[in-house]
Amino acid sequence: MIKQFGWRSKVVAFILAALGLSIVVQMVRIQNSPEAEIFRQIANDFAVASRTIYPARGEIFDRNGRQLAGNRTVYEIGVNLEEVRIYDDTQTIAEELSKTLGLDYNEIVESITHPPIEHLKYLGLADYIPASQANILMEKQNEYVEQANKGKGNSASLAGLEFTAHYQRTYPENELASNIIGFVTQKEGIGFFGIEGEYDEQLAGTKVEVLVPQDPNRAEEIPKVPDGTTLILTIHRELQAAVEDILDEALSKYDAQSGTIIVMDPRSGEIYTIAATPRLNLNKFWNYYGVYNNGNEFNRAISIPYEPGSVFKILTMAAALDSGTVQPDTIFLDTGAITVGGHTIRNWNGQAWGYQDMTGCLQHSLNVCLAWVSSQMGAETFYQYMQRFGIGRLTGIDLAGETSGRIKFPGDDDWYPVELGTNAFGQGVDVTTIQMIMAGSAIANDGRMVTPHVVKGMIKNGVQYNTPLQIAGTPITDSTAHTLNEMLANSLEEESSSALVSGFRVAGKTGTAEILIPNEGYTSGGTNASFIGWGPVDDPRFIVYIWLEKPTASIWGSETAAPVFAQVVEKTVVLMNIPPDEIRLQVAAR
Amino acid sequence: MDISRIILPNKQAPWRTRRQKIVWFLGALIAITMVAAIYLSVTANAAITGREIQNLQAAISSNQLINADLEASIASLLSTREMESRAEVIGFQPIKLDEVEYIVVPGYVPPEPVIPFNGSYFEGRSPATPPEYTQSLLDWFNELIRSPETISIGIQ
Repeated sequence: MIKQFGWRSKVVAFILAALGLSIVVQMVRIQNSPEAEIFRQIANDFAVASRTIYPARGEIFDRNGRQLAGNRTVYEIGVNLEEVRIYDDTQTIAEELSKTLGLDYNEIVESITHPPIEHLKYLGLADYIPASQANILMEKQNEYVEQANKGKGNSASLAGLEFTAHYQRTYPENELASNIIGFVTQKEGIGFFGIEGEYDEQLAGTKVEVLVPQDPNRAEEIPKVPDGTTLILTIHRELQAAVEDILDEALSKYDAQSGTIIVMDPRSGEIYTIAATPRLNLNKFWNYYGVYNNGNEFNRAISIPYEPGSVFKILTMAAALDSGTVQPDTIFLDTGAITVGGHTIRNWNGQAWGYQDMTGCLQHSLNVCLAWVSSQMGAETFYQYMQRFGIGRLTGIDLAGETSGRIKFPGDDDWYPVELGTNAFGQGVDVTTIQMIMAGSAIANDGRMVTPHVVKGMIKNGVQYNTPLQIAGTPITDSTAHTLNEMLANSLEEESSSALVSGFRVAGKTGTAEILIPNEGYTSGGTNASFIGWGPVDDPRFIVYIWLEKPTASIWGSETAAPVFAQVVEKTVVLMNIPPDEIRLQVAAR
Repeated sequence: MDISRIILPNKQAPWRTRRQKIVWFLGALIAITMVAAIYLSVTANAAITGREIQNLQAAISSNQLINADLEASIASLLSTREMESRAEVIGFQPIKLDEVEYIVVPGYVPPEPVIPFNGSYFEGRSPATPPEYTQSLLDWFNELIRSPETISIGIQ
């Protein structure tokens, strides 16, 4: 019996063994076949996905932590063309997109059915779609899936619709401080003008390419990409808004073409505000060409040099006092005219002012007196001091697009001896308002001139780095600065200037400069009205520069720029918590 | 030892030898099955954990986008012009210089502004996952064969 079944068992065992062996042989053959190599290649292609991680662009805050520039989430909406073909949902997609996003139905159908490139897998249909609209479409897509799962409804779906979220730069304050902030273009993500332009690299951060394994067995932590550097500005948002309002009101009141107001801390160079016109809604930066004729109009404070007129006299007087050319009580007999380099220079009203001390020369803004002062000083000394004040050079402010202006020096082809006289009262010299306020900081700040800056600190990798104080030079001594401070404060008080502010002792100087027309001279009749001033005189906490271009209600700086200065100071002291002199001295005495 | 003592019983009862072989075979089969089952379980758990990691990474990205969006919305709601108009509606107006009253408070130090920094804290390169958590049994065996020195150094 055993022998009878023995051979059968052996046959079955042999067949099973042969079967097993053939399976093994087949496995080995398949593993090493040319097709296997192709499949391995395909698997490798899908094993990892290349992904570019873009860091979030660094935010921008004002000095009190109010956001001036941030990021919001928007979506790119496109279709997976293979899925669209499988589910045949072109019409549904076109219908929903036209309903929700207002896109043209026929254009969507046409672009999906006839894509621009053959065998295209993905086609982008719309970008920068707000999350609110994208969410509507996503919900709709889920509804179709649920209906399909329940077996309800028709075969319509949004299966091929794909949503890719990304950041978009957003400016919550719209136009406010636009001249300082600048903007970022959408597609290229490049910063232009202002802070966005100057700190583009730091704000943007560094994008990182990573290979993300698709096999969950090989899932790894995706490398963390540091966000772009966050910037904290020295700007005071509320003061910026108030000063912009004052500027707009002044332009309207005095019928001026445009204007600039800067408020700075003369001790540190921290800029509190730069208000300039025109301004751009940064969330609609594409209107740039409708607002500006050229790039240097974006921030007139740093990019448009102009002849400042009599505000420049404070620098001439500072140089003369510091070099010992004159003393405050030096008497000058003003006959109403002086000849310098063969040309006659006259006062603003063409009148003679008789005997004047140096305070009187500043108080009455006498061109003849200042031309005499610069002549007494000599060209070499005068221009040396102008160089020390940084005239004709970039201030180094951390904003993109600064221009240097120009002062001609003896030896230049186009310098004439008369310019020693005219430069003394701000004619024939081109400066930017930021240069003037930097130079003025030396007089306000005990002779130390500070570099103006807008960035107070940077936050990178969770650590804040503050901008150090930068002294740009010491063009005059502290005693000269104190003397001139007193002279300027007294001159304002004696003429009962409209720049005076109740409770605060301020020093300053008006300026009215005729506008030069190339090849024609000073024939336009239009003026640039300016004012530079600071206070409190004994411990300056703010320095303000006003420039109104071509005011027509009055052409004089004393009637236009000076009252604007007072308005700005009134806002500044309230918003910056600067108490009146009486209270401050009372506290200091304790 | 008397070998006949061992051989004789097997000759008398050959089923004993067959039973022993069957036991050995079944034992080996069970051992292999157990190893395979453990390997399968570990691999499946690793796959599930890997998928969870991928889902969490997606959730982190999504949350970052939502946070940025919320922050932008808050900033927009707190913008100067927006706040001004809301303040005016409820009866506030900007204070003027002559309306301010100053009181001397000894020892008062004004608070420092808080910067609502929301950026990520970069901790350098993320620590690499040890190979024990990602490699399969075969990978480990391969590595063992290919670089015995490395393994021995690792053990030391």
